[in-house]
Amino acid sequence: MNSSKLLLVILLAWLPAAHAQYQAALPGYRYEFPRDHFNHEDYQTEWWYTTGNLKASDGREYGFELTFFRQGVDRDPKKNDPWDIRDLYLAHLALSDVGAGKFYHTERTSRAGPGLAGVDEKAGRIWNANWEIRWNGDSEIALRAVEPRFSITFLLHPEKQPVINGENGISQKGAGKGHASHYITFTRLQTSGTLQLNGKPISVSGTSWMDHEFFTNQLDSAQIGWNWLSLQLADDTELMLYQFRRKDASADPYSSGTYVDAQGKSLHLASTDFRLMPTGEAWTSPATSATYPIAWTIEIPNLGIKLNATTRLKSQELAGLGNLAPNYWEGAIVLEGTRGGKAIHGVGYLEMTGYDRPFEIGRQP
Amino acid sequence: MPRLKLFYRLIVRPLFREPIRLALMVLAVALGVAVVLAIDLAGNAAAGSFHSSMESLAGGNDLEVVAPGGAPESVVATLAEQPHPLRITPRMEDFAVDTRTQETLSLIGLDLIAEGSRYVSESGVAAEDSRNRQTIEESIQELEDPKSIWVSPSLGVKPGDHLKLLINDAVQDCIVRGVLPQSSANESVILMDIAAAQRALNRHGRVDRILIKLPENANIEEWRKKLSELLPAGVEVRPQGAGTQENRKMLAAFRWNLRLLSYIALVVGAFLIYNTISVSVVRRRPEIGIVRAIGAGRNEVLAAFLGEAVCLGLAGALIGVPLGRIMASGAVKLMAATVDSLYVSSRPGAIGLSWSSVALALAVGVGVAVASALSPAREAMQVSLTDAMAQGRREYIAQTHKGRDLIVAAILGALGAFAARMPAFAGKPMFGYLATILLIAAAAYAMPALVNFVSQLAAQALGKLLGVEALLASRSLAASLRRTSVLVAALATAVAMMVSVGIMVGSFRQTVVAWMNDQLPADLYLRPAGDPAADRHPTISVELPGKIAALPGVAAVNRLRAYEISYNGMPATLASVDLRVLRAYRNSNFFSGRPAAQVLGQLRGQNNVIVSEPFSYKHHVKAGDTIALSLGEYRASFRIVDVYCDYASERGYILMDRDVLLKYLPDPAPTNLAVFVAPSTDVDQVRKEIQEVAAGHRILIFSDRDLRKEAVRIFDRTFAITYALEAVAVVVAVMGIAGALIALVIDRRRELGLLRFLGAATGQIRKMILVEAGLLGLLANLAGFALGYFLSLILVFVINKQSFGWTIRFHWPFAVLLGALTVVYLATVISGLYPARVAARLNPLEVIHEQ
Repeated sequence: MNSSKLLLVILLAWLPAAHAQYQAALPGYRYEFPRDHFNHEDYQTEWWYTTGNLKASDGREYGFELTFFRQGVDRDPKKNDPWDIRDLYLAHLALSDVGAGKFYHTERTSRAGPGLAGVDEKAGRIWNANWEIRWNGDSEIALRAVEPRFSITFLLHPEKQPVINGENGISQKGAGKGHASHYITFTRLQTSGTLQLNGKPISVSGTSWMDHEFFTNQLDSAQIGWNWLSLQLADDTELMLYQFRRKDASADPYSSGTYVDAQGKSLHLASTDFRLMPTGEAWTSPATSATYPIAWTIEIPNLGIKLNATTRLKSQELAGLGNLAPNYWEGAIVLEGTRGGKAIHGVGYLEMTGYDRPFEIGRQP
Repeated sequence: MPRLKLFYRLIVRPLFREPIRLALMVLAVALGVAVVLAIDLAGNAAAGSFHSSMESLAGGNDLEVVAPGGAPESVVATLAEQPHPLRITPRMEDFAVDTRTQETLSLIGLDLIAEGSRYVSESGVAAEDSRNRQTIEESIQELEDPKSIWVSPSLGVKPGDHLKLLINDAVQDCIVRGVLPQSSANESVILMDIAAAQRALNRHGRVDRILIKLPENANIEEWRKKLSELLPAGVEVRPQGAGTQENRKMLAAFRWNLRLLSYIALVVGAFLIYNTISVSVVRRRPEIGIVRAIGAGRNEVLAAFLGEAVCLGLAGALIGVPLGRIMASGAVKLMAATVDSLYVSSRPGAIGLSWSSVALALAVGVGVAVASALSPAREAMQVSLTDAMAQGRREYIAQTHKGRDLIVAAILGALGAFAARMPAFAGKPMFGYLATILLIAAAAYAMPALVNFVSQLAAQALGKLLGVEALLASRSLAASLRRTSVLVAALATAVAMMVSVGIMVGSFRQTVVAWMNDQLPADLYLRPAGDPAADRHPTISVELPGKIAALPGVAAVNRLRAYEISYNGMPATLASVDLRVLRAYRNSNFFSGRPAAQVLGQLRGQNNVIVSEPFSYKHHVKAGDTIALSLGEYRASFRIVDVYCDYASERGYILMDRDVLLKYLPDPAPTNLAVFVAPSTDVDQVRKEIQEVAAGHRILIFSDRDLRKEAVRIFDRTFAITYALEAVAVVVAVMGIAGALIALVIDRRRELGLLRFLGAATGQIRKMILVEAGLLGLLANLAGFALGYFLSLILVFVINKQSFGWTIRFHWPFAVLLGALTVVYLATVISGLYPARVAARLNPLEVIHEQ
């Protein structure tokens, strides 16, 4: 995987010259669906992030990640040839075969070209070559990704309406106007379909999570990475939490989260509303030598939630190729804990970035 | 008697008694072997290991998608979306000329974003590694910059250097951003991002080729069918490198003919070996008698003489191999030039002297030597003890057989004439080749009779004309009839080859010149600068024709457009002309004989085409047939309304109306312009005006006369290798003559000594030998000329027609032939100088004393 492109996503967001042509995420944005499930080319960066925990009929567990990125490069109106690079389209695909202890990942980088990648609201498509998200009407999302070693063909049915994370239509990521994103989440998508692994089709089902975020220049320069979690609990509630990692290791006030109750009502969580702590169990990547804390405790006192997040597959790092690549760990996790004193469990996904090295490169001098 | 001793006695010692003659023989074999090897090596380098220059950076794919004029870009998206694990690589493929060296380079446009991990990072193209700390935004800007290029190391430039490239008709200043890793292909390639390449070429909306990598162990044919069904009708899916295969196929006939031509020098060599061994057998008759008398068997004698041939062949081949390797370097240049101008852009590969080619050279050298020694060695074996001492008997045998030989010659000649009438076999003029071999053999058999006849006829005349020495000379030739015949046959074969190829090339040249007179009705012709090649069609800026047409002295401008296409698995050229502008041709160039206006009128606005003669011949189509053509994404039927003569290229031409072609392939840029100057206007003045209008464009302007000159120049360049091969064969033959004359002198020591003893002056002896040499040359020239004439008929009407499909009008290139024959004649006489000196220096007393 060439995750230098992920860095690129973040990196370009910091370049003032580059984002001058784009709009920042500001409070009061009026969401409208299905329009807002698709492209926002006035914003420099946009991504559609789908992760899920699935089970085969034989009980074997799988996790997957399929992510589409769009990164605005240039909005010069003179660039109107199909091959001109107005945006870069990147996509990441990962499969965790938990039972076999195997992790597969790959990436692709495209330009729009004559239809190689893009977002098409009319056709309900977000695609990068033969990887795609396709909306079949309002209530079904088809995912497809083909790779030589494996492929996925899933149907996703939202069990709840999408929630808007943050407050007043924006998810604030740093101090100052515009250091924010518009952040939409389907927190629970009933998922079923086929997984083709090493030439063998496997029927799977489970739940997925889909984030859609668009923004321009959302991070601040002291943020060197983040820990992000999506949690789907057995009581039909969900949690999203992220915590920025700062250069000086201090707590970042812009860490936040969202709680969604069984009815689909969302509650914004400020950084003070939750505690996210590593247990000390760590895994060191042989590829990048980065040490990731792969077990966490989560406490949300107001909701009476205490959870332990662990993973059954330690090596879920998407390690890049070049020395500029921001490698990151993104993997399936399981949750055990209590809510209001009663035992509860769940599944989720954990993302950790900036562990192999801080994001120094490309920072404004 | 120990075998080695016998071999030494019978073979080695006599050979080393005449080192110069030995050296000449070995050298003759060496030259023959060298030529065969050189052509083999050069053929491999220029055509055999030939792979299209467009295969640079294209390795490791399974299928390719192509369409004449380019595949629409939507095809790229269609393929990329397929739910199969395919790797899709769209490419722009064209040419650029390095203005420093005038070298034509492949220009490849790739989607460097998608190729990022495959080419960019591996090759150091990405700025990320080399000049680290460059932001990725900067590297995208760099990648997108239309000036950015990445080049192969063979160009000898480094990142940051500027390179001025001629692309189509404009020079573009490019910046080298990186150097590609050394590839095995040894290609000079310019790599650009696909967007930059489209911009540089001014071609948008289409890609030249899409490469596809299939999943591992995939059934290529199944996938080919499956993917074909998804794509528009005109778009072809085929195995990757199919173009290379097509080109190889196209080049096969060219290589064949060249290879066969290279064997002629060897055939000449074979005659000489035959002669040498025959002479040895005759001269060593006493020795044979002695060794037989002391107990050597017949087989041992046979083995000894065959051993001599093996030694000669081996020695020649051993010298021939390095010589051939050296000659190959020259040959490859000549061949590459021909391949480029007649067939396809290619860069010769490295000349590889493989063990197999060395083995071939040795086998050919030894094989030819043994084969040609077989008959004289058998005769040596049959020498009986009593015969051994009786001189002259053998010559008598040869003489008595000349009537029978003449009948054999007649039969061979008749067979040859019959073979010449047979059609091509498997696309190759096999029977044509057979006919030439039969004719050469017939000539060899007819030679004793001819020599006998001519020398007897000449004896009296020469005697009166040049004195008694000449009389003696011609008598002596007739007396040693067999040896003389073989010598004459050798030289005659070389001369015949020279004459036949000379006539063929001369006829061809004349045909082309005459054709061009009819073909060039316009006054000025324009094309983008750069070396022309049959498969390169650089374009002229779209706006230029209009500007030129607006000049006051210009009556009309015709825009011609050519595309490289593939028809029925063979490369062809598809071209269009503006029929509204076309002027009357002077003569009909059409097979139907109809006037041009009538034929061309049928093309206007219609799906009608005319095709060139080679196209018609190759694809077995004629006027009235319908052919299906792929044009861009479309597939359409066209009716052939006529076939026209065309000698510009061996690849077939299909010609249609410009308006019709534009319907399918809307790119308006022309590849050539033909300018008609208004009546009573000075062409040179108009030319100057065009130059002004075209300032900033790299356009070459030719008057019809320039064009003719240029065409003839290309023509001559094409046949340069043919001339070179001929020259070698003639050199081999002349060397053979010199060697044979030395032998003659040494043989006739006794006779010459006697003459001197009887009072002949050294001058007289010298004169006698020179007259003999002159007579030999004359005989060879006469016989060679006659044989050459017949061979040329086969070359022109059988081999050429069946190989290339051209109809050539027979023409005698008198001046060339006369010059060549004179040179050969003089060379033969000069080759007699040394033997004459040897003869003159003989000490009569010593010679007589030997008796």
